[in-house]
Amino acid sequence: MALGLFLAVAALFSSGCGDLSNDELNRGVESLSALAAQGQLVASGVARDATKSTYARVMSRTLGEEAEHEAEKLADATLEEAETEDQRHAAVAVAGEISGLLSELQTYPGDEHHGALVQKHLEEAQEKADAIVAQLSGDAP
Amino acid sequence: MKVILKIALGIIAAIGGFLDIGDLVFNTQAGALYRYDLLWAVVLGTIGIAVYAEMSGRVAAVSGRPVFDVIRMRLGFGFGLLALIASTLVNLLTVAAELGGIAIVLELLFDAPYNMFVVTGAIALVAIVALLPFGGLERLFGYGGLALFVVVATVFHQNPDWGDVAHGFVPSLDSSTLYLYFVVGVFAAALMPYEVHFYSSGAIEEGWTEENLKENRLNAILGYGIGGVLSVALVIVSGYLFHPLGVEPSDLGTVALPMQGAFGETGLLLALGGMFFCVGGAAIDSSFAASYNLAQFLGWEWGRYQGPRKAPRFTASWLVFLLLGIAIAESGINPVEITEYSVVFSVVALPLTYLPVLLIAGDRSFMSDHANGRIAATLGWLYFAVIIVLSLAAIPLLLATNGGGG
Repeated sequence: MALGLFLAVAALFSSGCGDLSNDELNRGVESLSALAAQGQLVASGVARDATKSTYARVMSRTLGEEAEHEAEKLADATLEEAETEDQRHAAVAVAGEISGLLSELQTYPGDEHHGALVQKHLEEAQEKADAIVAQLSGDAP
Repeated sequence: MKVILKIALGIIAAIGGFLDIGDLVFNTQAGALYRYDLLWAVVLGTIGIAVYAEMSGRVAAVSGRPVFDVIRMRLGFGFGLLALIASTLVNLLTVAAELGGIAIVLELLFDAPYNMFVVTGAIALVAIVALLPFGGLERLFGYGGLALFVVVATVFHQNPDWGDVAHGFVPSLDSSTLYLYFVVGVFAAALMPYEVHFYSSGAIEEGWTEENLKENRLNAILGYGIGGVLSVALVIVSGYLFHPLGVEPSDLGTVALPMQGAFGETGLLLALGGMFFCVGGAAIDSSFAASYNLAQFLGWEWGRYQGPRKAPRFTASWLVFLLLGIAIAESGINPVEITEYSVVFSVVALPLTYLPVLLIAGDRSFMSDHANGRIAATLGWLYFAVIIVLSLAAIPLLLATNGGGG
């Protein structure tokens, strides 16, 4: 019984989700904002010379791959609401930006100067992601 | 002096066995999403595991029977088999998640491929189990796990608003399914069935008798209590740092970030080291628990103390569980996802594990003067009611929240 239940749930999770709804697009962009925030914390450790370079490198790589995956997901999906096309494009660009910055951190995990720069740029990328979320939820000025 | 040392070692062993990848992941995610609001659920889970660990240790010490022996005796072959299948699946997922956790920590420390570390980590565990006696295993992982006290130090370094923290210990219910999913997750992470399977079988391995009952009670209360303090600390540091930034911790490495923020490289290394020993200890506990259950149910000779010659099927099954764990961990599924499934599915198996323990621990004809008193019986039945509710809610919540993804 437990095995059957497990397989049923596993099948459900691997079955794909169809078109991208506004909510799902919103959640995807929120994930980008969260990745940028996490990246800033890793970059802050590099900037303050307060981390281990292997840790910074592996974390940057992992987070960068997640941003890339999010970008692919957003770029490939068909939108349920065509009027959010601009936000989708902007989100894909932000995802690429975050992924690129994390890749830079991965290359220079022991360089304090690079760490500070990446931290600053990730902060800007997070602001862009938050602005897209605000537009999607109708909270933008 | 010898008694004090023994109790101290038992407490340390309990800490090492309590905090595993499930606690690290769910508590950190709970803090990031809901700040301190789920602290009450951590306390609820910690008291629950202490209550049931004390009972299972007492039954083992008085009757010489570990949990799975009791399950088959009390529930009969059919239900016993169901319990065996359910707990074996959960234990297997747990072994895979813990092996994946070991590999992630080693990858963060040495930046070599994850897949390589899954295998080398498992080989290292086999070597450690082959070389050390049972008590030595507990001590190694227990002492190592103490490095995670850096999380408690981080709480004081962050100096959060203590009023807000205190408010989190007051139970509150949010109607969102994601909140309820995390209530189930945090509670279940504390009550993973392998913990009592291992604890009671460990009591038999160490030859506990009625003379060890005081030690058993202290281990359960202080050991799991201190483990609970570490879990609470994980929620607080995550709530303090991650919640305002909107960080969604989806990687084991993220758990160490608050300690890096507070104490730099030293904090980071202590956190990663503590995580390594806790997760490593849990990999041994859960893989042993899986083979203990199988051997006890089928009536094989079992026990680390017997050695591979006297208990060949037990030893072989342990190696098979490790190999299957390696295969799952190497499959490419994120260990954090495996952890989430193993924790949530474990809730479904909880009633089958804890009901027989509760029944036998309260049976005067079996336990005579050591049967459950009023407090143990009341707490036991209260917790069993909670377990039933959560086991019914676990799968629907997993589906409704898309595995906690919201």
